[in-house]
Amino acid sequence: MILTPGITVRLCLLVLVTALVQVTFFSKLQLFGATPDGAVLVVMALGLVGGSVSGAVTGFSVGLLIDCLLFETLGAFAATYMCVGYVAGRYRETMGLPGRVGVALLGGGFTLLGLIVFAGIQIATGIDADVSTRVIGDAIGKTLLGAALSLPLFLGVKLVLRPAVIDDRPSGRRPLTPRAAGTRS
Amino acid sequence: MYRKQVRRRRAVLLLLVVASLTLLSLYFREGSDGPFHRAQRGVATVLGPFEEGADRALKPVRDLVNWFDETFEARGENDDLRDELAETRDQLAQAQTAARQGDELAKLQALTGGGLVPPGYEPVTARVIGRSPTVWYSVVTIDKGSGAGLRVDDPVVAADGLAGRVSAVTKGTAQVTLITDAESSVTGRVLPEGATGVVEPNVGDPRDLLLNFVQREDEISENQMVVTAGYASGSLDSLFPPGIPIGEVTDATAEETQAYQRVHLRAFADLRDMEFVQALVQTRGDGA
Repeated sequence: MILTPGITVRLCLLVLVTALVQVTFFSKLQLFGATPDGAVLVVMALGLVGGSVSGAVTGFSVGLLIDCLLFETLGAFAATYMCVGYVAGRYRETMGLPGRVGVALLGGGFTLLGLIVFAGIQIATGIDADVSTRVIGDAIGKTLLGAALSLPLFLGVKLVLRPAVIDDRPSGRRPLTPRAAGTRS
Repeated sequence: MYRKQVRRRRAVLLLLVVASLTLLSLYFREGSDGPFHRAQRGVATVLGPFEEGADRALKPVRDLVNWFDETFEARGENDDLRDELAETRDQLAQAQTAARQGDELAKLQALTGGGLVPPGYEPVTARVIGRSPTVWYSVVTIDKGSGAGLRVDDPVVAADGLAGRVSAVTKGTAQVTLITDAESSVTGRVLPEGATGVVEPNVGDPRDLLLNFVQREDEISENQMVVTAGYASGSLDSLFPPGIPIGEVTDATAEETQAYQRVHLRAFADLRDMEFVQALVQTRGDGA
């Protein structure tokens, strides 16, 4: 991703809007018994579009804002989303931009990764209550919702950052060679 | 060139990991008046109006999505539970009308106006504007804060019963830790016999609460109501007023090797889908 002042401003706004929309919109939805995690999908998209450094920094920023908005342990969401953004960015750097089906699969996978990292942080910092097995059901529901919502959010993020996106995925059209173009000398 | 990029990437990652771990450890170590807590409240204060605006702006979309989900869920129940058809229809109809919010407010007024609010407390109605996205935290943000008189540890009730307590405040917003949060513990009394225990969450299952430390000899049966006992427990410093409905008993088991019974409750308040709550604000200094 090519970072110009304009793109940096767009990134900052995207981070702010993502945190606000996560807390006020996605978190209040109930779909098939689970709550979708839109922020993790936006962070994944930022990692896929911008690479590991952009993914990690924006993921950390989105997470830190959510930690502040929820008055919860500073660093918990920040570390989770940083991890997701970094791994998504590394995927882009090693495998290239995924196709549409790939984005959906990655959406589910990164949602699950975020849940595992967050659960690990919670367990590491101590839980004083019983944990229900429904946590697993919630994780499955969130993962499926993540797969379903990832493509529209990915395309949205790509649209917002369009001027800065370096699309290294080969397009569907074959390149024109002199032969294919029918040039006659 | 490539090696330089790799070094830069690793340096940024290392920096962010160290920052995360530092934040986590320092946040736990410091008190609620520490610099990180103050900075967090500062950010929340600045973003509070934006959060409230976003909540209002996105409400129609949210209602539409939730309507689809409720309709889908109601159809499933329709197939499986014919005997609950009428009740489900009522719930669906309620969800489809704008009168729902009015109902919720009316129930809140009935709950807190029906003699449950003890002298020295005054109910302050607030709208839920934010919610935790994970089952590990069970917290909501409301649109009233210290400016409306709210203070940390004030009890909060929803339309059908106890919701939680205020755990942090800014001038215009407050965080409410729900009774389904891992850090919550409320002393409860089973009616009518009066057996007491500590109501704690079953993290990950917002419908299920546990009433712990109930003596084996106490007779507990299904559908008995549990209300607040009226004194603090655990990390809570202030008292919940006695008599606020919490939930009803769904299951009680007493294993032979255990000194206490394990009692499951279903919370009366629909903590996942509430629009309004009331904080019970102490109006005099000795209210606790």
